Amino acid sequence: MKKSERIVAIITSLGGVWIMYYGWHTLKLGSIHIPDAGLLPFLCGVGLAVLGVVWMLILQWAKEPTHEGPVEKRLWHRPLLSLVLMVLYGWAMESVGYITSTLIFVIAWQKIIEREKWLKTMIIALIGTFAMYALFVYLLKVPIPPEFFAR
Amino acid sequence: MDIFAGLINGFSIALMGTNILFCFLGALIGTAIGVLPGLGPAATIALLLPLTYVIGSPVTAIIMMAGIYYGAMYGGSTTSILLNLPGEAASVVTCIDGYQMAKKGRAGAALGIAAIGSFIAGTVAVIGLTFFAPPLAEFALDFGPPEYFALTTLGLLLAVTLSGGSITKGLIILIVGLLLAMVGLDPISGKIRFTFGSIGLQGGFDFVTLAMGVFGLGEILYNLESTMKTELVTRKIGKIFPTLKDWADSKWAILRGSVIGFFIGIIPGGGSVISSLASYAIEKKYSKHPEEFGQGAIQGVAGPESANNAASSSSFIPLLTLGIPGNAAIAMIFAALMIQGITPGPFLVAEHPDLFWGVIASMYIGNAMLLVLNLPMVGLWVQMLRVPYGILAPVIVLFTTVGVYSVQNQVFDIYSMLFFAALGYGMRKLKFDPAPLPLAFVLGPMVERSLRQSLLISGGDLTIFVTRPISGTLIAIFVLLIVGQTTFFIKRKMRGKKTTAT
Repeated sequence: MKKSERIVAIITSLGGVWIMYYGWHTLKLGSIHIPDAGLLPFLCGVGLAVLGVVWMLILQWAKEPTHEGPVEKRLWHRPLLSLVLMVLYGWAMESVGYITSTLIFVIAWQKIIEREKWLKTMIIALIGTFAMYALFVYLLKVPIPPEFFAR
Repeated sequence: MDIFAGLINGFSIALMGTNILFCFLGALIGTAIGVLPGLGPAATIALLLPLTYVIGSPVTAIIMMAGIYYGAMYGGSTTSILLNLPGEAASVVTCIDGYQMAKKGRAGAALGIAAIGSFIAGTVAVIGLTFFAPPLAEFALDFGPPEYFALTTLGLLLAVTLSGGSITKGLIILIVGLLLAMVGLDPISGKIRFTFGSIGLQGGFDFVTLAMGVFGLGEILYNLESTMKTELVTRKIGKIFPTLKDWADSKWAILRGSVIGFFIGIIPGGGSVISSLASYAIEKKYSKHPEEFGQGAIQGVAGPESANNAASSSSFIPLLTLGIPGNAAIAMIFAALMIQGITPGPFLVAEHPDLFWGVIASMYIGNAMLLVLNLPMVGLWVQMLRVPYGILAPVIVLFTTVGVYSVQNQVFDIYSMLFFAALGYGMRKLKFDPAPLPLAFVLGPMVERSLRQSLLISGGDLTIFVTRPISGTLIAIFVLLIVGQTTFFIKRKMRGKKTTAT
């Protein structure tokens, strides 16, 4: 954890320096009488740069935490896969329409993320898709992307 | 309009059919998400923000949102008592004694006292809100840009320092929130900031996408990592009405919890978590039998549960009177008001009395509804704990995706939300508390506008912030807080070094 935190702390500091430059050079600070659009971004950049350094110093001082008791196993690939599925779902919703994309998305989720059996997957996919369709279209009267074959 | 006339007007609005229905729905949804671990009130209100466009009436929308918030505080105790897993953050301490009570076969008494204590505290806090909010709003009418700048910066700092996590990380998130609020057109000069040539970003990020991404999907992504399985400690709930002895043991804990929660809830950043922790500490300290705490002491359930409910109601005071949201869930309600074209603040009482008094009156009704929902229906909530996360997660994803698309009918918003979801997930992985992010995002424009207006008014004289009595006092508190925190940090480090040396 310490290593990844160090990397993020460095990125924070460097990001702060870049924001300072952007606020000062591109947006302009203005004067103290008439401040311009870059003043607050510049101050925020200063804050981020300083806090990034402070964070690094704290990490330097802090001892590595010792774990007592059982440590929970965490599966980092599941959130990553689901994020990829959600990006594809967003793209598919516009390209092929709500119903088709949602059906495919729920099936993919249940098979890839949850590793469910086909029967349960299909039941959840069908009920989920049409329940959401009914909720948004009939109850809430929200416009959703039309199916590609109905365009 | 005096307080009693306002309250009568409020009840006439809150008792209208639609408002009663949405108050009930809010309380029901709130209890449900409070019961289900892994989805907090801020996330749920964020998920339901697009609904506010459909509901139409701002009074009805805010009545429902408020119901979700205080409903979640009621429901949070159920999982703490039965699963030893807090349904939401404010119920963490309830796990300690509530779970022990359940193990001893007294789950019903624990759930009962939690619900009754919550009802009493919630009602006490709403009475406080009724009498405290209007004079505070009148006082705030004298506020100018320097006062608003001092107040918002102090509020943001308090939100970070009181959150209990790392202050450095909290401040970083705060600045990130301020920077995200700056994306798009500068409201004063009209310059375009941080858009990198993207037309979609010219209007800035939408609060709904930020809130749904960081709180809704971010939480889902983080929970997907978990492999932990939870088990109900008992399927038998038992008698839910506390005995006379339970009453005698917990009546003062409920009253103290109500008062502590009310006052901590008013402070920006205070909120439900700190109030429940404070209440538990006080109950343990002043108990005649402190050794019973941790072994199933009923005061350890009654006090914190009362405190977190009182805090959830009183945290509406800074929102409705000063326009300052004190925590993430209240920031969502702030956003819901803005979506409806209503700016919360001192003018709210005068300009929108129907909303102000309608929401307050609905809280009295909502608290009574929650008592009914939580006492006789507790068995139903226990059954809900059996819904697998594998079904819940994709349903929430579908809801958020279509919900965020419906706001402006553009897929760009879905991608923005996914960006924020990744940000929220990363924040949780690196142990960042995401709560200051929506607060900074919501208050960012106010901070910038009031800073620049103050400098314009004073002709660049920075003493404007310290020479005016109200802003001067607030700045003094701000400085004291920073000095205090720094001294505390250095002392702790020195003490740590001394201990290692010896």
